[in-house]
Amino acid sequence: MKILCFAHLSEQIGSPSLELELGPMTVASFVEEFKSRYPNARLDQVMIAVNEQFVEEDHLIGANDTVALLPPVSGG
Amino acid sequence: MSQDRYSRQQNFAPIGVSGQQKLKDSHVLIVGAGALGSGTAETLARAGVGAITIIDRDYVEWSNLQRQSLYAEQDAFEQLPKAVAAASRLKQINSEMTINAHVMDCNAADLVSLLERHSIDLILDGTDHFAIRYLINDAAYRFRIPWIYGACSGSYGAVCSFIPGQTTCLHCLLKKMPAVSASCDLEGIIAPAVQMVAAMQSAEALKWLSGNRTQMNVNYTVFDLWSNMHQSIGLNRRARQEACPTCGGQPSYPYLNSESAVKAETLCGRTSVWLRYPRQEALNLEAVADHARELQAEVKSNPYLVQIQEGDFRLVLFQDGRALVHGTSDPLEAKKFYQRYVS
Repeated sequence: MKILCFAHLSEQIGSPSLELELGPMTVASFVEEFKSRYPNARLDQVMIAVNEQFVEEDHLIGANDTVALLPPVSGG
Repeated sequence: MSQDRYSRQQNFAPIGVSGQQKLKDSHVLIVGAGALGSGTAETLARAGVGAITIIDRDYVEWSNLQRQSLYAEQDAFEQLPKAVAAASRLKQINSEMTINAHVMDCNAADLVSLLERHSIDLILDGTDHFAIRYLINDAAYRFRIPWIYGACSGSYGAVCSFIPGQTTCLHCLLKKMPAVSASCDLEGIIAPAVQMVAAMQSAEALKWLSGNRTQMNVNYTVFDLWSNMHQSIGLNRRARQEACPTCGGQPSYPYLNSESAVKAETLCGRTSVWLRYPRQEALNLEAVADHARELQAEVKSNPYLVQIQEGDFRLVLFQDGRALVHGTSDPLEAKKFYQRYVS
């Protein structure tokens, strides 16, 4: 599974993108797994897209999917 | 004026002579004359949009000049209101257009009054916090006017078009108003991130206004110029909920109703301001505190409130959205301080 970490997440994780041996798993269980691997990552309210589609918590992420973690952004 | 002025744009086939005429007949509302508002206003003024109404509550500061392209040193030196400085620069760029500039902290009543008085074709987001974007979202869907969200922070930016009757709304994308989000004040910002967002917003504006509406980009577009990543994300149509208070079957437009207006009250004889922000749900105090700590502020918290100290200012934040800002008696300054830590 490929993970893209946007904005502050790339600093918190140490890299803008990761390859993890994960899946298939739901978005909700992915978030739990990710939090336990990267306790510094602030995932509250982060929007999650799988293969460039926003998905619900029960969506099943495949092992070869790309997951984008997108913090909300407000500056302007 | 020279007939040649818009020739290069008219030669672009999708616009042509008829699209150019449509641009001339258009009226765009730009909320916020900071970095994004500067960028989109300049592009649309050069493109020959007939009328622009621009709103901003702030004045030009030296720290703006690095990226807010309508302003120059003299504006910062004179501390001119951004709306005033923007209008004067836009007039220099295109003297044929109408520019209405409003120096104001745009609340629900202001926004409704503007949309009732003018026939606005499109709203562009040049704001810097989420509370006002939920307000714009409600106003846009109530008046059935499309609006183009744009935001940036660091090297990161995002754009999304919200079109009443066609796309889901901001509420559907972000069901809860984010308590914290990436902004420019504390996280910093590089000008190319601004220009990228403003360019994408302006392109959407040109499409909509010139009659190329089927070309609108309805994806959530997001990029990071530093880590070289880009995503164009589809919004799940099913995500549109019939129960959405803004774009659902029986909308209540919660952020437009006066009960949810931001209230500010200066405490008599003290340099403190009470603020009450509209929130549809309890504020995540823990997330705000974590975020403030990351930004090197001095933070104290308990389950009921969070205190954030920065220099002479101290923000005390309660879960129901109330906040007390110590260190100022100016409601506007208090709001700006609040919005550095809570979006």
